[in-house]
Amino acid sequence: MTRTADAVVIGGGIVGCATAYNLAKKGLKKVVLVEERYLAGGATGRCGAGVRMQWGTEPNCVLSRDSIKIFENLEEELSYHDSIEFKQSGYLLLAYNEKMVEQFHKNLGLQHKLDIPSRWVTPEECQDLVPHISLQGLHGGTFCHKDGHCNPFKATDAYAKAAQRLGVEILTYTKVTNLLQDRDKISGVETTAGIIETPLVIGCAGAHTMELGRMVGVELPIYPERHQILVTEPVAEKQGPMIMSFYHGIYCQQVPHGGFVMGLGDPNEVKDYDEDSSWQFMHEMAAKITFILPALKDLNVVRQWGGLYDLTPDKTQILGAIPEVPGFYVAAGFSGHGFMIAPVVGELMADVMLGEQPKYPIDMYGVKRFESGELYVEPSVV
Amino acid sequence: MRVNEHPILNFEKGNKVMFYYNGQQLEGFTGETIAAALHANGVRAMRESIHLHRPRGLFCNIGNCSSCLMMVNGKPNVRVCVEKLEEGMMVETQQGKGELK
Repeated sequence: MTRTADAVVIGGGIVGCATAYNLAKKGLKKVVLVEERYLAGGATGRCGAGVRMQWGTEPNCVLSRDSIKIFENLEEELSYHDSIEFKQSGYLLLAYNEKMVEQFHKNLGLQHKLDIPSRWVTPEECQDLVPHISLQGLHGGTFCHKDGHCNPFKATDAYAKAAQRLGVEILTYTKVTNLLQDRDKISGVETTAGIIETPLVIGCAGAHTMELGRMVGVELPIYPERHQILVTEPVAEKQGPMIMSFYHGIYCQQVPHGGFVMGLGDPNEVKDYDEDSSWQFMHEMAAKITFILPALKDLNVVRQWGGLYDLTPDKTQILGAIPEVPGFYVAAGFSGHGFMIAPVVGELMADVMLGEQPKYPIDMYGVKRFESGELYVEPSVV
Repeated sequence: MRVNEHPILNFEKGNKVMFYYNGQQLEGFTGETIAAALHANGVRAMRESIHLHRPRGLFCNIGNCSSCLMMVNGKPNVRVCVEKLEEGMMVETQQGKGELK
């Protein structure tokens, strides 16, 4: 079956759903979203559910700051019947050596320039924020009370339902098998549910966006890397802020449901599509988290899972048009922080795809920066 | 009610021990689970459901389902269906999600 569309969005995570919603909101009549599995079945639904403005590069600070503003009113904007569980109880980033203290102060300088209300906190102030934190080895940290939590499944559902009300067609369990071109220009998308003729395509497929690029002869520097998370049994509210240690490569927050969600970045992880979870992760996670938060030792782990970061060489997302293939756009390579910046990315991408001036320039986030070498190396990632 | 005879399994009764259920002194036997001792004493409600505060009792009885979580010696979320009874244990009905100490 061949159908036609004004635009096709590939990927049913939060970036794809937010982009589809914004395209329809801007008046595009026929938008089709294609998802290989189910909505939020990839990186979105597997992420740590944190949202923070405390970053080390300008793009991430700006995009997350403005996205958090959108999250604050997202339920109303999307007329969502349910709660997206957005809660601003802060992020506490912990420093365990002098080099980190220095980096954090550098980050604070940048953040303050961009009106992000973060501040330096002493070890004792860390304990005021998280009373069960261990002071062992702790040099202090930075805290921003506007950071927090949002439920990725609910937020994606909110965007998807709002998009559908505006006429977006969502095809789940539909795989893109090829991108079609008329000379260089995009002319359609070949899927397991037939061909969709369209002049506009955006790839929001996480690490799989690299494969989409190859379909049109473009090498996108995006690599999959597995990261793992576990969740404990729910207990009464104990921990307000998300805590994060780049020294240990971990983060841990108590979600509104009561469970503690925590994850770990393994520097030796193979760059592959493996999404399995491992017992080694459970051991390492337990050892590291009980060093920082000893009280968590009595909690039972309920579940653990793996998901894929879509990493780029500078750990900053690739946004914008692919110049070699007119009509082909990319919003991917989020390197572990796509969920928290998706609301703004959805708006920006819709603007760019429709040839309008986005609310701020995004040319410098394009794929060409890897040729020119003008990179944004993000220091604050797990 | 206790199972005393079983076609395949042997139930050897251990020593008689005292324990407390919500402050009330009860008797049980070593070797049996807290849930078995409570059941034998006629206690069926073990926790309250989190949202509607309705009584919850034994459901899976093999440590999987979270229906029988109780406070034991001040520790929340103890699965009493798989936790063995000990002399002097303080067992309490759990309300809410349980506080992590």
